[in-house]
Amino acid sequence: MTEKTCPVAQLIQDLEQVLASGRLHDAKNHRRSEEIRALLDDVAWGRAGQEHLPAIRQLAEEMCQEAASDVGDETGGRVLQALSDAEEVFQSHIDTHNCASGACVRLAPAPCQMTCPAGIDVPTYVSLIGEGRDAEAIEVIRKDNPFPWVCGLVCTRPCEFMCVRGRIDKPVSIKFLKAFAAERALSWGQYKNPSKAPDNGQSVCIVGAGPGGMSAAYYLALKGYRVRVIEAQPSAGGMILLGIPRYRLPREVIDREVAMLQDLGVEFVFNTRLGEDVSLGALREEGFAAFLLAIGAHKAYRLGIAGEDDYPQVLDAITFLRAVALGKRQVPGKKVIVIGGGNVAIDAARTSLRLGAESVILAYRRTRHEMPADEEEVEQAEEEGVEMRFLTIPEAIVGRDNVLEGLRCLRAELVAQEGSKRMRPVPVKDSDFVIEADAVISAIGQQVDSAGLTPLEGLDWTRRSTIDANMVSMETSLPGVFAVGDAVTGPATVIEAIGAGKRAAEGIDRYFHGIPQPKMPPVPVRRGRIQCKTLTATQKMAAKRPEMPLLNIDRRRTTFQQVELGYAEPDVRDEAGRCLRCDICLRCGKCVEICRDKMGVNALEMGYFDFDHPVETDFRMTAERCILCGACAANCPTGAMQIEDRDGERILSLCGTVLNRESLTECAVCGTPMGPFRYLEYVRKRTKGVGPLVESRLVCETCGRKTAARAMQPEQ
Amino acid sequence: MSKYYLFQDTKKCIGCNTCTIQCKSNKNLPLGPKISQIIPVGPKMVGGLPRATYVFMPCFHCEDPWCVAACPTGAMQKRAKDGIVFVDHNLCVGCKACITACPWGAPQWNPETGKAVKCDYCKDRVDQGLKPACVTVCTTHCLQFGQEVDEIVNVRKRRHAEAVAALDSNAP
Repeated sequence: MTEKTCPVAQLIQDLEQVLASGRLHDAKNHRRSEEIRALLDDVAWGRAGQEHLPAIRQLAEEMCQEAASDVGDETGGRVLQALSDAEEVFQSHIDTHNCASGACVRLAPAPCQMTCPAGIDVPTYVSLIGEGRDAEAIEVIRKDNPFPWVCGLVCTRPCEFMCVRGRIDKPVSIKFLKAFAAERALSWGQYKNPSKAPDNGQSVCIVGAGPGGMSAAYYLALKGYRVRVIEAQPSAGGMILLGIPRYRLPREVIDREVAMLQDLGVEFVFNTRLGEDVSLGALREEGFAAFLLAIGAHKAYRLGIAGEDDYPQVLDAITFLRAVALGKRQVPGKKVIVIGGGNVAIDAARTSLRLGAESVILAYRRTRHEMPADEEEVEQAEEEGVEMRFLTIPEAIVGRDNVLEGLRCLRAELVAQEGSKRMRPVPVKDSDFVIEADAVISAIGQQVDSAGLTPLEGLDWTRRSTIDANMVSMETSLPGVFAVGDAVTGPATVIEAIGAGKRAAEGIDRYFHGIPQPKMPPVPVRRGRIQCKTLTATQKMAAKRPEMPLLNIDRRRTTFQQVELGYAEPDVRDEAGRCLRCDICLRCGKCVEICRDKMGVNALEMGYFDFDHPVETDFRMTAERCILCGACAANCPTGAMQIEDRDGERILSLCGTVLNRESLTECAVCGTPMGPFRYLEYVRKRTKGVGPLVESRLVCETCGRKTAARAMQPEQ
Repeated sequence: MSKYYLFQDTKKCIGCNTCTIQCKSNKNLPLGPKISQIIPVGPKMVGGLPRATYVFMPCFHCEDPWCVAACPTGAMQKRAKDGIVFVDHNLCVGCKACITACPWGAPQWNPETGKAVKCDYCKDRVDQGLKPACVTVCTTHCLQFGQEVDEIVNVRKRRHAEAVAALDSNAP
């Protein structure tokens, strides 16, 4: 869905052209065209229901049948053609209230929602949280993501990287707001499952209780399926339990959200590994007609260096973290080296510290700038005492008598490589040195452990040894077998797995109903249009993203207690107020253009509208120059910019942010508000050369007319 | 002053508002704006009997229009060839400066388009040799439209001057 034009907007434009051209002389067909246009407007404004498309189709067919002219026939045909060419897009406008291309301006989606792999309606839930409506926010989130609390703590938050507020100061703290709302709703007993469809008698088996598999389980259960999740480990969570350490994601968070799924009737069978304890054939016989492979990527890549297999103190991070997560809390060594620069490496390093390692060194081939790990994670690791060694390439693990003594490394330099933005580390000759250590943990990536799936004949694999699946429907090469998560993408994020899980649920549902699978990825659904919070320009500008309070450093080095302590409630509500409401304001810049180029007032300083050339943004500046003429609001295509006369004042606001307000001068005769002083001054100045009228007298247009008529009435 | 006249014989007018309705319909205007309007004046007691007058108020098409001066975008213009004052809707941004500036309320607000509208003597019709829409439907034939003759120009100029003077003298 990256096309620039939208077939809905295009068809409306075409119809308007025909109507304006006056070529459609036949009155009946003219009326029909107008009706079609009105119905299409509904589609483009998100007001359409399921009857709209059939109604449009019928009108168009009538036009063709009863065409008194070629123009009528042609127009009807054009409409029918557009409907059949792009039916999915028309339907998606009705279902999702989003126009992915943004051409239907009222339905232009917010960047945060579009970038979220699960397509969560961020502006809506952030606004709800801002109003203290946490339970409703959770309800909105769970329409696209069954694990708001988990994601609120560990999501890689692509939304925040796209957040438009980041162009002004810092992105809205979307991730944590979600965690706050989930925690609050759970604690107050308001975190509820939606009602599910009645049992449809069909059974689905999901292999792997990670975020991808469990998301599919959730949406399938809601659709009325009987879902069983089999899991090799003794508890649910997958990588979020085994890979993510407890100081980032407490066990209770996973347990509580998994319990919500059990409440829905999802059956979990633990300690059951596909291919060992149970086979697909046996499950088929038991009545499962569809399968979802969500086995993750739990097999570590090998370092491929000398000594790797010679010492028991050489571990891979994922095995190490899994052991710790499952209760085997043993310090790997006194001096630990972790190899790698991703989040798993950081997790292994910080976990080693907490288990009692005296020193932890993280060796990475590139520099800090290239580290794939989350910036905040790196920072926190360094605070805790993890030492970073950049441009360091491991060459061999050295030791004596079965005891590891260190890691021999080479210094690297970064060299630009053709066709890639990423610099490549190249070893410097004769630069080798040894870092002393008694344990080495490698964290250089994971791959799919395909052992359990080898009996599945006909299952296609990619060249990267992941399951080959259609990324829209999540179908594999085997009918009735679907796949999601890291098993398909290779090591990726929780939120990507969740998005895929939801798509898989839709794909499986279609499989059971024999409906063709979608061709395009789903368009994120707009879940509401929450009224904007009224704030002053100063409040909007001055609010700062709160610092995350952290656990004290001694506890961070010694315990697995949650490091990020969370915001206080007032901070959460204020933080939500920083949202610029990109679900309503399209940032098209029309207001700025009109104020600056047409009115010559130049009161709007909205640098953040322009992604490529951001200049200063200051909402407070508007009040200095704005004359409250209202031209910006009159030309705003989405109603984001609004001007209203209330309580003797004229108020200009953008998505609830009051940009300017001034008291109104009234008509000298009837008292109707005429405009604020500064606006009248503007008109006065411009008309100075014409005559003194406006200066001496202020009358509204109605009174002006009445007075003139009275004056013109001939004497009788 | 435009080179046309649109003259109303108030003696004949019965205030049926057909002109206003036709005007709105011709310009496809929504609820709200009346760019030509019948303003009832009175009733006054004349010879012991109440008598009302109905004054047709379109636009004067001033010689030196306030609205044109006020318009910051150049949307409000005076047509050079015949002096008709009109709004170019492609240029209008809806700042309402013309509405505020005009002493007679000729430019009006169209809430549907977010732009100003005003009487332009139906210049599209005039250009085709037709009369303005209001004139064509006047039930009592009290509205007359035509090219100016000197006498009428003088009458109009006098009336316009009177209107201005009356407003000034009424100033609070």
